[in-house]
Amino acid sequence: MPDINWSQQILNGLFAGSAYALFAVGYTLIFGVLDILNLAHQAIYMLGAFCALVLVTGNVAGLGPLPGGVKLPFWLATILAMLVAGLLGIVLDRIAFAPLRGRPDTHFSGMISSIAMALIFEALATWFFLPQRSQFPLGTIPGGAITIGQGALSYSRLLVIVAALVLVVLLTALLRFTKLGKAIRAVAENPKAARLLGINVEAIYSFSFFLSSALGGAAGIFYGLAISRLDPTMGRTVELKGLAVIILGGMGSVPGAVLGGYLLGLTEVLSVALTNTSNYRDAIAFILLFLILVLRPSGLLGARRVREA
Amino acid sequence: MFGESVRNLMAINALLALSVYLTLACGQLSLANAAFMGIGAYVGTVLTLQAGWPFWAVVLAAVLVPMVVAVIVGLPTLRLRGVFLAIATLGLGEVLRVIIINLGATGGAEGISQIPVKTQGWHLILALLVALYLTWRLRGSRMGYAFEAIREDETVARTLGINTTGYKLIAFVLSAALAGLAGVLKAHLLHAITPGDYGFVQAVDMLTFAVVGGSTIFFGPVLGAVLLTALPEVLRTDFLRDLTNLQAGWQTLMLNGVILLLVILFLPNGLTSLFTRQWRRPTPLASEQAGAEVVT
Amino acid sequence: MIRRTRWLGQAIWALILILVLAACGTATTPTAAPAASQAASAAPRTSAAPSASAAASAAPSASAAASSGATPAASGAAGGATKEVKVGAILSLTGDSQIYGNPQKQAIQLAIDEINASGSIPGIKLVPIFEDDAGTKDKGITAVEKLIKTDNVTAIIGPTLSNTALAVFPVAQQNGVPALGVSTTANGIVEIGDYIFRDSLAEAQVIPVTIKSAKEKLGLKKVAIIYGVDNAFTKAGYDVFKKACDDNGLQITSTQTYSATDTDYSAQLTAIKGTNPDAIIVSALAEGANIAKQARELGIDSKITIIGGNGLNSPAYIKNSGAAGEGTIVGAAWNSANDTPVNQKFIAAYKAKYNADPDQFAAQAYTGVYIIAEAMKTAGPNVDRKSLRDALANIKGLATPLGSFSFQPSRNAEHSPVIQIVKNGKFEVLK
Repeated sequence: MPDINWSQQILNGLFAGSAYALFAVGYTLIFGVLDILNLAHQAIYMLGAFCALVLVTGNVAGLGPLPGGVKLPFWLATILAMLVAGLLGIVLDRIAFAPLRGRPDTHFSGMISSIAMALIFEALATWFFLPQRSQFPLGTIPGGAITIGQGALSYSRLLVIVAALVLVVLLTALLRFTKLGKAIRAVAENPKAARLLGINVEAIYSFSFFLSSALGGAAGIFYGLAISRLDPTMGRTVELKGLAVIILGGMGSVPGAVLGGYLLGLTEVLSVALTNTSNYRDAIAFILLFLILVLRPSGLLGARRVREA
Repeated sequence: MFGESVRNLMAINALLALSVYLTLACGQLSLANAAFMGIGAYVGTVLTLQAGWPFWAVVLAAVLVPMVVAVIVGLPTLRLRGVFLAIATLGLGEVLRVIIINLGATGGAEGISQIPVKTQGWHLILALLVALYLTWRLRGSRMGYAFEAIREDETVARTLGINTTGYKLIAFVLSAALAGLAGVLKAHLLHAITPGDYGFVQAVDMLTFAVVGGSTIFFGPVLGAVLLTALPEVLRTDFLRDLTNLQAGWQTLMLNGVILLLVILFLPNGLTSLFTRQWRRPTPLASEQAGAEVVT
Repeated sequence: MIRRTRWLGQAIWALILILVLAACGTATTPTAAPAASQAASAAPRTSAAPSASAAASAAPSASAAASSGATPAASGAAGGATKEVKVGAILSLTGDSQIYGNPQKQAIQLAIDEINASGSIPGIKLVPIFEDDAGTKDKGITAVEKLIKTDNVTAIIGPTLSNTALAVFPVAQQNGVPALGVSTTANGIVEIGDYIFRDSLAEAQVIPVTIKSAKEKLGLKKVAIIYGVDNAFTKAGYDVFKKACDDNGLQITSTQTYSATDTDYSAQLTAIKGTNPDAIIVSALAEGANIAKQARELGIDSKITIIGGNGLNSPAYIKNSGAAGEGTIVGAAWNSANDTPVNQKFIAAYKAKYNADPDQFAAQAYTGVYIIAEAMKTAGPNVDRKSLRDALANIKGLATPLGSFSFQPSRNAEHSPVIQIVKNGKFEVLK
């Protein structure tokens, strides 16, 4: 058996885990607040990435250059693209979820309407950005890598890990220490009680979608940069793993999503490193998921939930 | 107006939608049906090609094997509720997909091709009618009331002395049987099967049929399956293309999405709203109760 | 409520049963019919049939079987001098495989425009009908049925994916419609029947040559392999690569897989790096560029050559892998640097029309149209499905962007593969 390059594999796992976590926190936030699986989150992830690409290159592949030849530095493009993704999230909520609130089958119908929105977003992206693989231009951020032990980590991958840490810490702080965060948690706990307390529940829903989608957009941008791959169906590749992550951690739990992300990322990487084959990698991840669900149905950190009717 | 293959797919998708309906009727959101469909398809195909069984025996086996798997998987997982069950069952599908890809007898990623066509139109129609008849009889039967009670409130149902685990398992196993049946019939119709045919996309498709059609009444899923199968075909008719200059590609995808969205938004109980009197806006009372029902 | 409506329900059931039994006779036959190969089974059955055959009877057709083919719509301006012949194309225009299907669509449109503009098929104007299969069997078979029965096409190009083709081609075969795969490389395609052709070289025709010349040029001793485990194309490629390595006495240090939804390959590549291979064989599609790039990011030395097949033969590979792709050896069916006039004309025209470089998918789809056009010239203005099939089977030495093209008796493509190396951001022939 060949030597295992432990430091490299752990870096690989941290990278994959950070990417999963970044995608999953926004996903789980919406579930926490609205009890709804937003299957269009993956489309927002994709649109966020493309939006940043457009701002960096100043060009929309399917339509032509931006008016005025705007080209922005990467960091500014990222912030603007996150804002756009957030606004798209609000639009998504108003179109696909708000009209369904109050229906007895809101969970199912919300899921389906988010699938419909994902189709629409994907069609739009195919129109604007063409059915092709794109990537951020070379030199968007400096090439090169840091070395840790025997492992190498390119700057773009390092950026994913750092961004995941920073954004998750910011989100946690916002939820825990600000008035807005407390309002979000109150709505998540019990919307009716929150309304009685004078909280504008609809506004909180909108804001949650803004936060969730801005994070989803950021995930798309940083991950798309690191793996050099943007295309209109890129969101589909993370959707299923993202679901697994938020279940592992406990649905609706932000720290849980982070833990779940790292757990899945490291498990996948280690299964390859230890067995020297990758044929059963996906199965291992889902068997783990299965076991955790059966042994601890609320997920690793999912304390609340199982709200009885 | 539709071709042979569209009609056949409508029937198969209707079977799949009914299979999802059975678990939904019992308040369970299971996404294992795609996996059970795959088990039925692979068991059936291997028996046809390698063991040379007669078709009726193949179909029987392809219905029974998923049922057995459903019992084994259902016992530990049916304790889970709502979305948790959905994900656990989805995990089952992924594990199964990986196993099929790595097994020799299943042809790996390339799947199995040149499967003889044995399914005939009347097989499908018969299967669909039997399935419809049984689900229709379910309403008003003892089991039907038990399902309904569990769907409304599992805890209350249990305190009423209903064997909730037993009934949930029955729903799960019956739905596996229907999915397996659809799987084997489809495999012997389309000449080829590949592991990717039974994944997440298929699972979500089936659920979409049931919910768009309306999952509160037994003919809803069938309606959903028929109309959603027809939709892309209608969009590619020459008549519509000439009228709108619509092209195959993203425009069609977009229209598909928009129509799906409109149905969900404006027909609260799915397409069955068009045929029942439930289409009126939910009363304020109903909306007060909302959010507390169905899934946790 | 329930009691009161039950008798009504029973009555409705009885009614449905009667209707269904009555409809059964008409609803069953075609798919159940054995694959009788010839035009006899092509007799239209759908409601579209009467109008189609009525139209056909007005044409100066040689045989009754002509109803199964060209729609002789005398286009107004031409005054009946040219006849429109419909060619259906089933491609993956949406979904995960859209990045392969769309270049195919563009290339087919380009070829048909060129042929119609030059009037190179006497008396015939080609009309393309594009259908999307979204990469699925379901939409593939409904599309092929629509093309055959409603549109009454004379020939079918596509589908994009082999998996879809395995479900679609039997329908074409049963209906006696010639079908030409332009990107189907898997096993068991042309074996479906005598109406099924492909202009895409099977992996088994390309890869052994690639491995042999790579071994000679680079002095390889041990290699590692990474391939997509759940895709028919990449898996079939792996099987052939593995056999070629065994035949050439190459030691395989590590075999790694990924699945279609994976986008990060670093765990597998790290494992490969630890086994110190001389080269890495990548059996991949568009993700090959990402694999190459990530390999170099992990510090896999550029002296360790990347070797690939048809899936890497795309300008997108060079563009997306950048410096990481330099030195990659790609054995493929088409070489963009091939300086025959027909190839250079294709590349220039494609670039002019779509402002993008064509890839191998485009080249093979473009070639497919010209192969069908050539067969139509042979079959003459009264071409139908049967005569087109016979003419296709006799295609020999046609000058195409792929090289001098012929069909083998097995209806597989016959032309020489090229072994290329990426040098200075361009594919060059490996010498």
